[in-house]
Amino acid sequence: MTQTIAPPTASQAPVTVVHPANPVHRTGLRGALSRTPGRLRVAGVVSVIAAAAVGVIGWTTGLAQSQALSDADADTRQLVGIQDVRNDLVVADATATNAFLVGGLEPPQQRARYDEAVASAANGLAQLAGSNAADAELLGEATAGLTTYTGLVEQARANNRQGFPVGAAYLDQASAVLRTDVLPQLDELVQTNSDRVDASFDSVGSVPWLLTLGILALAALVVVQVWLAKRTHRRLNAGLFWATVLALAASILGAVVLGSAAAKAGDARNGPYDATVSVSQAYSLANDAKSQESFTLIKRGSGAAYEEQFVLNTDEASELLARPTVDPALSPLLDDWVASHQEIRALDDAGKWDEAVALAISEEPGAPNDVFETFSTAASSSLEASAAQTHDALAGSGGSSVLIGWLMLVVGLLAAVLSWRGISKRVEEYR
Amino acid sequence: MTTTRSTTALGVVVASFALLAGCAGAPAAAPVAQQEQAVASVALPAATVCDDANESTTSYTPGPGGASVQAIRDRGALHVGVSADTLLMGSRNPLTGQIEGFDIDMLNAVSAAIFGDARPLQFRVITSAQRLEVLENHEVDLVARTFTMNCERWETIAFSAEYLTAGQKVLVTRDSDAQSIEALEALGDQRVCAPEGTTTLERLQETYPGVEAVPAPTHTGCLVLFQQGKVQAITGDDTILAGFVAQDPYAKVVGEAFSAEPYGIGVAADQVDLVQFVNGVLDQAKADGTWAASYDRWLGALGPAPAPPVSVYGRVDSP
Repeated sequence: MTQTIAPPTASQAPVTVVHPANPVHRTGLRGALSRTPGRLRVAGVVSVIAAAAVGVIGWTTGLAQSQALSDADADTRQLVGIQDVRNDLVVADATATNAFLVGGLEPPQQRARYDEAVASAANGLAQLAGSNAADAELLGEATAGLTTYTGLVEQARANNRQGFPVGAAYLDQASAVLRTDVLPQLDELVQTNSDRVDASFDSVGSVPWLLTLGILALAALVVVQVWLAKRTHRRLNAGLFWATVLALAASILGAVVLGSAAAKAGDARNGPYDATVSVSQAYSLANDAKSQESFTLIKRGSGAAYEEQFVLNTDEASELLARPTVDPALSPLLDDWVASHQEIRALDDAGKWDEAVALAISEEPGAPNDVFETFSTAASSSLEASAAQTHDALAGSGGSSVLIGWLMLVVGLLAAVLSWRGISKRVEEYR
Repeated sequence: MTTTRSTTALGVVVASFALLAGCAGAPAAAPVAQQEQAVASVALPAATVCDDANESTTSYTPGPGGASVQAIRDRGALHVGVSADTLLMGSRNPLTGQIEGFDIDMLNAVSAAIFGDARPLQFRVITSAQRLEVLENHEVDLVARTFTMNCERWETIAFSAEYLTAGQKVLVTRDSDAQSIEALEALGDQRVCAPEGTTTLERLQETYPGVEAVPAPTHTGCLVLFQQGKVQAITGDDTILAGFVAQDPYAKVVGEAFSAEPYGIGVAADQVDLVQFVNGVLDQAKADGTWAASYDRWLGALGPAPAPPVSVYGRVDSP
């Protein structure tokens, strides 16, 4: 068997023909490894793989982070969109119930506000269903509920206009439909999307840690060089050296770029994103409370449960607005409105229902409706601003993550070529 | 009062049935029998609050009022539990925002008598099911909300003398051939609505198992279900159904009344002086034509104003 040891195996054609069996090949490989050129080749393969791995890891990480960033952006927009629709609906309901207090002839501006809110909600639902297929089913249910809701409101109006008290029952039913068939679906979607956003933010932050795998590859390159230096008594192998330097530089650059994107996303999550979600929820709660306020008057004396709900809603809204990320100007505006609500309650509790209603439906400056409008406008614009900030933070970083990914891939492949050439030179010395 | 008269014979039959059924469930028929057929009253069952001396319509003899009335006078407003969506009896007029109707007229008469001037009532809008609890908890002074006097209710609250006799009927769509609730039973698979916490719903469930009883929170809730095609009929007092027909030209009330519902003003059980005061006011209204004027204004659709129900007094508190 000794004659088969001499490398390269392929040139020993007759032996291969005579002994095609596996043991021959295995002995050949084992033999090759026991000699320096064979070992050099193995070292070459290891260093090529290590260098290429740095590139592939960087590429994967960059693309994954970019994907996570754009997911976070898309999910945030979906979340904000759903909350917008929810807000539109509670605005519509608050307006419809408030207008009901007025009587048969509802003020044109309230009618317009209701129409606008419903149109905006319907538009929003269609767009949301298009932008994320996973949400389409629940959005479909919500859309169906909205159709029923608007139908009932119109029926309430028609009856009201004729002076029929059955209108009140239709309005009751409309509100009930909104609260059982529409809002719960949207709340579920808000939860799902908020979980999705959290998951995306988590991966934006965690993906750069993949780069630590590159440390193993770099270590392999170093080990090969140390071994080579001992074996060949040359301190440096130029190809391997430059390959290591390139891979190291690319890894450091990658870590910096991806890490800063992660940090920026983290800032957005703890800043404008948090503000967006909090203000949106607070806005929704306040509008819900506004409907409750109208119902305490419509129910006339039997509205205690609605008042309790009002207090719960506004307390929760206040807590949300007290968060450090939220524009501090909003909280006092909410407090102003709650204070004006107390005036209505004080009148009603004192038995002056007619005056309480007159105050509740007044469109005069300084009246509860006006104070609420001030809060509502401020909350909406704060909401838009923080949503835009979140979007900017997330959409801006994705591009650089992709770029650094491709850069690392190119550098990794270049380093692989350099390592191979570095080793090849040593192998040639044994020819 | 053609309705009541034609029901009288039926009332006697139902009253004797009530002997077997006990107090709850079918007591409403008793008063008619008691008023016009003295024989029937002798045969009524002796329950804890309804006995030989105390029919379901027997109230306390009118009086000038005492501590309870004075407390209301001191407070400056009469607190009343009413309906805001029962057209003709007590409903909020969407055009004016005011609650008005036959029940409200009676309450206004009481308020005017207490204060000596017309002053706004302090309304508490309640559902049928809340009528007893708001009185038991003293949340309001009076409840006038198509409130049928019966023995079971006498156990926890007190009633004024009867101020209106209604009868339970059925409302169906205009093209329906059904002339009675039995006809609906015969049709099969019919859903009939009645409000929760009412004698109407109890009777529907107990006496007419052939139809599916569908409860709603208020009478008007039933009208919504009816207009949406979720129920085929509504059963309720003719006073209430008249209000529905006024709101829906595609509805009609059919058949004869199959029960008599004596309406009384509900008062807390421990405010006998207030009951006596209210009875004085009601007697006055029945006598001076105020009652008839109010009937014509709100319930004219049921026919010309009949003679007001005869007040029955002499209730003796059980020890």
